[in-house]
Amino acid sequence: MLALQYVRSVPAYALVRATGGHPSVVTSDLSMLHLGDVLEPGLPGPGWMRVRPNLSGICGSDTAAITGHASLYLDPLTSYPFVPGHEVVGELDDGTRVVVEPALGCLVRGIAPECARCAEGRPGLCENVTEGAVEVGLQTGYCASTGGGWGEVLVAHESQLHAIPERLPDDAAVLVEPLACCIHAALRGAASPHDVVVVQGAGTIGLLTVAAVRLFTPPKRLIAVAKYPFQREQAKRLGADMLVDPDEVFQRVRFATRARRLDGVDRPLLLGGADLTFECTGSARGLNDAVRFTRAGGRVVAVGMPGEERIDWGPIWQRELTVTGAYAYGTEKTGERTFELALQAAPDLALKQLTGPLFSLGDYRDAIAYALHAGRQNAVKVAFDLRDLRA
Amino acid sequence: MKFELITDLRTVRSGWRWGGVRPASWPEAAPGVPARASNLDWARQEPVRSLRWLIQRGLSAPFARAVTGLRVEGAEWLREQKRPAILAANHVSHADTVVLLAALPDRAREQTVVGAAADYWYRRPMLGRLVGLALNTFPFVRTGSAQAVLHSSSQLLRSGWNLLIYPEGTRSPDGRMGSFTPGVGHLANETRSPVVPIHVRGTHRVMPKGRPYFLPAPVEVRFGKPLEAHKGEGSRAFTKRVEDAVRSLGRGTPATEVMGSWIDRWRAAAPRNGGR
Amino acid sequence: MGRPGAVIEVDRNTPPTLFHYGEGVRLEKLPLGSRIVYAPDPMEPVAHAERAVRRALGHPLEDDPLKELLRPGMKLTVAFDDLSLPLPPMAQPDVRQLVLEEVIEMAAEKGVEDVHLIAANSLHRRMTVDEIRHIVGDRIFSTFYPDQLYNHDAEDPDGNVLIGTTSQGEEVTLSRRATESDLVVYVNLTFVPMDGGHKSLATGLGSYRSVRAHHTVDTLVNSRSYMHPPDSALHYSCIRQGQLIEDTVRCFHIETSVNNHSFPAVANFMQKRETDWTPADQASFLAVKQLTDLAPPGVKRAVFHSMRAPYGLTSVQAGQVDAVHDRTLETVRRQMLVEVEGQTDIVTIGIPYLGPYNVNAILNPVLVVCMGLGYLFNLYRGKPVVRQGGVVIMAHPCRYEFDSVQHPSYIDFYDEVLADTRDPAEIERKYEQCFAEDPWYRQLYRRSNAYHGVHPFYAWYWAAHALQHVGDVIVVGGERSAVHHLGFKCASTLGDALEMAEQTVGRYPSVTHLHLPPLFLADVQ
Repeated sequence: MLALQYVRSVPAYALVRATGGHPSVVTSDLSMLHLGDVLEPGLPGPGWMRVRPNLSGICGSDTAAITGHASLYLDPLTSYPFVPGHEVVGELDDGTRVVVEPALGCLVRGIAPECARCAEGRPGLCENVTEGAVEVGLQTGYCASTGGGWGEVLVAHESQLHAIPERLPDDAAVLVEPLACCIHAALRGAASPHDVVVVQGAGTIGLLTVAAVRLFTPPKRLIAVAKYPFQREQAKRLGADMLVDPDEVFQRVRFATRARRLDGVDRPLLLGGADLTFECTGSARGLNDAVRFTRAGGRVVAVGMPGEERIDWGPIWQRELTVTGAYAYGTEKTGERTFELALQAAPDLALKQLTGPLFSLGDYRDAIAYALHAGRQNAVKVAFDLRDLRA
Repeated sequence: MKFELITDLRTVRSGWRWGGVRPASWPEAAPGVPARASNLDWARQEPVRSLRWLIQRGLSAPFARAVTGLRVEGAEWLREQKRPAILAANHVSHADTVVLLAALPDRAREQTVVGAAADYWYRRPMLGRLVGLALNTFPFVRTGSAQAVLHSSSQLLRSGWNLLIYPEGTRSPDGRMGSFTPGVGHLANETRSPVVPIHVRGTHRVMPKGRPYFLPAPVEVRFGKPLEAHKGEGSRAFTKRVEDAVRSLGRGTPATEVMGSWIDRWRAAAPRNGGR
Repeated sequence: MGRPGAVIEVDRNTPPTLFHYGEGVRLEKLPLGSRIVYAPDPMEPVAHAERAVRRALGHPLEDDPLKELLRPGMKLTVAFDDLSLPLPPMAQPDVRQLVLEEVIEMAAEKGVEDVHLIAANSLHRRMTVDEIRHIVGDRIFSTFYPDQLYNHDAEDPDGNVLIGTTSQGEEVTLSRRATESDLVVYVNLTFVPMDGGHKSLATGLGSYRSVRAHHTVDTLVNSRSYMHPPDSALHYSCIRQGQLIEDTVRCFHIETSVNNHSFPAVANFMQKRETDWTPADQASFLAVKQLTDLAPPGVKRAVFHSMRAPYGLTSVQAGQVDAVHDRTLETVRRQMLVEVEGQTDIVTIGIPYLGPYNVNAILNPVLVVCMGLGYLFNLYRGKPVVRQGGVVIMAHPCRYEFDSVQHPSYIDFYDEVLADTRDPAEIERKYEQCFAEDPWYRQLYRRSNAYHGVHPFYAWYWAAHALQHVGDVIVVGGERSAVHHLGFKCASTLGDALEMAEQTVGRYPSVTHLHLPPLFLADVQ
């Protein structure tokens, strides 16, 4: 089958790192990413099904892996070569439209009894990811056995599959997985109605976090920090009260929270500030700003995937901040699965507006280049359209 | 950033009829601004001030020091000045001003105006402009009513300028000191400024009265402790006191009243402690 | 005495007109038939300023000579106007320095030990050390700073006392030091007819509580104009407050006025009428124009803000406030009044680089409105120069640039408040209180050199009367996004602006250009 494959190659990795993730290098023949004919993944056991992807999104974690910016921490948790793509809406053999929940936990791997994390309802944090029916991998799309969205066929366990209602088109369904991540993050943040919440970053994760926070934990004030006008429009539509440019974040947050502002050598800081910040850019600048405009004793939730970033821990220590990670999804405290919540919320959010443009697998070089600078080009979620491969 | 010099020149040229006749429809020409103040304010405004700073710092002060091998005593009295002072010196030669300005500490020099005899220096406008630029002079009318001079001098003191004057009124012909005119006392009383007595010795060999060129010769400048008029002290009495002080400085007697006790001088020379 | 003010009609021979353009100058050709209003020539200053001051203090109006009011052991407070006037700042010695030195001399002679000098800056910013020194002179500065010479702190909870309420329910507060003094001497400089009189103490040493009684949209809209006290609701309120203060504290007012010689010799071309420009003036203009076109903003700002005006003292009087102020206003009006026959459809103004609230800082867009539609628009007596529904055309670069030290609350006012609404009444209702009580602005006002949190609101209300009166406002040469944010139209040249204005006032409108600074008061018949 035709698929994009990510291959483990030290020289390729070195080259990609050396050029700092330049778009034409990271998708060239010298990179880790290759388009070609690949063996179809076999079914690892009973309960597994074949899924043919319709649309498959390009996520920040995918581009980080391709450009060599992903944290090396994730390397042992991945099996090579793998087909990337974990934001998948596709069809089963019998034609049912499904969306894939990528986490490969104990249940999927066929391991009983479950590990402690899976028992808590957090398969993304499974401790048995090295065992079981499939090879090492946190998710479909980072595992050599399962295939991934950027190929013609992938295999998934029945517990990973969620049927999507008719009224949710493919364009919107491809965003269900990131929406689930953001819902999980919003519920982990647990904003109260008195809180001033800042969502920093307005890419896919930032915008969907705004939507999730507005829906599930509506706060007193929801401030979205967005660089591009198109992002600001969408953030407003999805429920942000105040839209702020990253250069003015300290001034505007100070005004919204009536804090005091002190100007430092490199960055200002606020005495006071936001109660809860969702850091959705995953960048050093974003994290360093966030820990200075979140009030002492407040919470910073890292939603966007960071790499190995240089963070000043002084503010975190002095302000007694709680910095938490928010990764993946599972079953929330209410007992519902995150994906179910996402599927319920998705139809009303008009998510179609955020998807586009679509590229075929053959145009993967353009697709990746576009995804790397999506914000500048008024796009949010760039995705592969694999429907034409079947026709 | 836009460069419109050519268009602007054209606009001004056509608007104001360069090379043409003043249009009849324009109203009568009038100065429109009050006449300039007689103490030639231009010398004390930018950019002349900056130009003078360059001239004095870079040219005249080092040159004067080199030619005269200048020795200065008592400069600490002028370093920590809190308010403008009248600097009263004996007058021997035309070189006195340049030498005294070189002897002053930098800060004091930048804030000093020199009284120059109007009938001598300001008779020819070019000369007046030259000394105004280089030495920061203002016209000091020697003859006639003292009122106008008093007024312009007190204006300058009030605006923050030190005033360097030669109370003898004219250069001494032989190097010995003459008597002081009472103007310095009047001025001190009117403005309540302190008076710093200064004695300069040796300039009569550099450029004596009558010789238009200068020769190198050693010069010594002594600053005394600033004097203030006592309550109820008349101008004449105060002027006499200043005259005696300058004389004592010239004699070299270490009179405490004139040179200050070592304790006063010690304190005056103390390094500044973090800003005024 | 020079020529009185004049209204000249533009014909084919008239030279181009000088427009101030923020930190810059321009020459514009006004359409034929426009009127240009010029200020009167500067009056002759008094011959001996110190003697005039001494005479005024020795022969006050309706009060005892100052010497007799001073006695040893008394508590004396001397308050003086801050650096929001005169504009541009006066060359040393400032008239206030001359007056203060005489007053302090008398106090020294009488042996008054307990003297405090307070800069009556109200909700304006604290002055820096150099600025205070510029006003009071080296001698007073070195004697009294910092314990006995300081800025008034209107936000000090212990330093301000509520002394009562007027008959109309206006609260009056005063600096505690003033209320506890045996004598309060106020040294005023009446630069425009708005200054002085009872307003000096009522606002100068007041606090937000007392100022908000009359700095309201309602009062300001009903002040037509506040440059002519008899027609100004603002002044009536201040008079009521001032009378309460007079009943509480023994006061002695010393008021001075200056002529309008506003520019140093190197910038004479800004002072003179264009038909009087000598070749030296034309050369000066060209030099300044090239400098402002090519120099970086920092250099331009430094050059412009270093200008010191050689004002001459035209009158000084002392004694009881009402008698003194009437005499002062007579002289000020004599210097400033220009007769203007009839209103026009369009008024053009070049906004200068300096207003009362940006000494040593940039004129930000909110202050452009305050200057153009506030101060300069209201320099009239009788009726505004522009007719109801007419158009005001202002020239200013109007860039989004704010001084973060002096105007922090202005930045938030522009970004947050003006983004929501521009209507002064709604702004007052929704936002004024939270800005006034913001703890950070309060801290910056008290410790740094920032204007009070509520100050941008007053700058906006200052234009309330104009916003109601005119049909349209066009900014020539302004930054498009900033001008639109303020709610006005933008034109790149004066010609375009006049064409746009015709949409509002009809074809063949009458145009009047106000050639200021130097400032004048238009007496519109």
